[in-house]
Amino acid sequence: MVTKYLFCVLALTTFGGAFASSCQNPQVEAASFTTLDATVVTHIAYITEFTLKCDNPLPENYALYAEVDGKSLTAARIGENKYQVSWTEEPAKARSGTHEIRILDEEGWASLRRARRADPAATVAPLLAIQLQHPGSYSGPWVNSEVLATALSVLVAYVALSNKSKILA
Amino acid sequence: MSGKANKAFTKEEELLLQDFSRNVSTKSSALFYGNAFIVSAIPIWLFWRVHALEMSSSLAWFALVTTASTWFLALAYRNTKFHLKHRIAVRREDAVAREMARKLADDKKMSRKEKDERILWKKNEVADYEATTYSIFYNNALFLTIVILSSFYLLRTFTPTVNYIVSLTTASGLLALLSTGTK
Repeated sequence: MVTKYLFCVLALTTFGGAFASSCQNPQVEAASFTTLDATVVTHIAYITEFTLKCDNPLPENYALYAEVDGKSLTAARIGENKYQVSWTEEPAKARSGTHEIRILDEEGWASLRRARRADPAATVAPLLAIQLQHPGSYSGPWVNSEVLATALSVLVAYVALSNKSKILA
Repeated sequence: MSGKANKAFTKEEELLLQDFSRNVSTKSSALFYGNAFIVSAIPIWLFWRVHALEMSSSLAWFALVTTASTWFLALAYRNTKFHLKHRIAVRREDAVAREMARKLADDKKMSRKEKDERILWKKNEVADYEATTYSIFYNNALFLTIVILSSFYLLRTFTPTVNYIVSLTTASGLLALLSTGTK
């Protein structure tokens, strides 16, 4: 009985401590980059950098995690309260439009893992969500120049051949 | 007529001979070779810029293939022109005769024979011009089509040098061969 009580207190303090260190009223400023020219690359890169501002001071090495379109990522800490999330996709799979990057802290991440164990489609409310706009990448002209050249030359050759047979008829 | 005169051709006969011969005038020949050279040299650009063929190390091949291709194409031009000329002459005969008759109608001094000669000469000139230009167009169109098709599709996997040599010699050789046919 005593041990059980003690355990409850420990848990409460742990959670309390965790709540204290988690970001209160998060505000974010994000800048992003996506590959626009896919003619010479094998993968499309998505990069977003954001600065996190909280009401409470954040502990050192405050870890953040990200989830994008079902992919799990770790946010890299690149400076004071500055993080970067990046990933790549094959050009065929890369869709244009808005990609929502759901940022979670250690806690949210853990609860997401836990929820996923029971239900693979489960979601938890993220700490913050960043919208990454990918306008689509250019993968070359619709008609290749050699196809166009071939089509045009075949057309001219056809005209030449048909006219010749008309003359010789 | 004397025996000597029998051997020499009359003006009309000479015109007829010229009409039916495969020989082309120097002017026509220069046009053929000039055109053949230009068209044979154009693919150099294609292979140099598009197929990334090394320019300096392939100069000998460029010269050799362009020369061979020029010769083949000029042969094809000549043969095609020869085939086309008669048909064009037949097709243009009435129109040329009508036009020349109208032009020469006022000239009372001209004999009938001379008028006929003039018509024949004009007919020959028109047919020659049309056959020459059409032959150049026809062979150029087919040559470039074959070069594009073979270099981009048939010989795509070969090295640019092999691609260049085979594409051009095949295209020009094929045209020269086809032009020797009767149809």
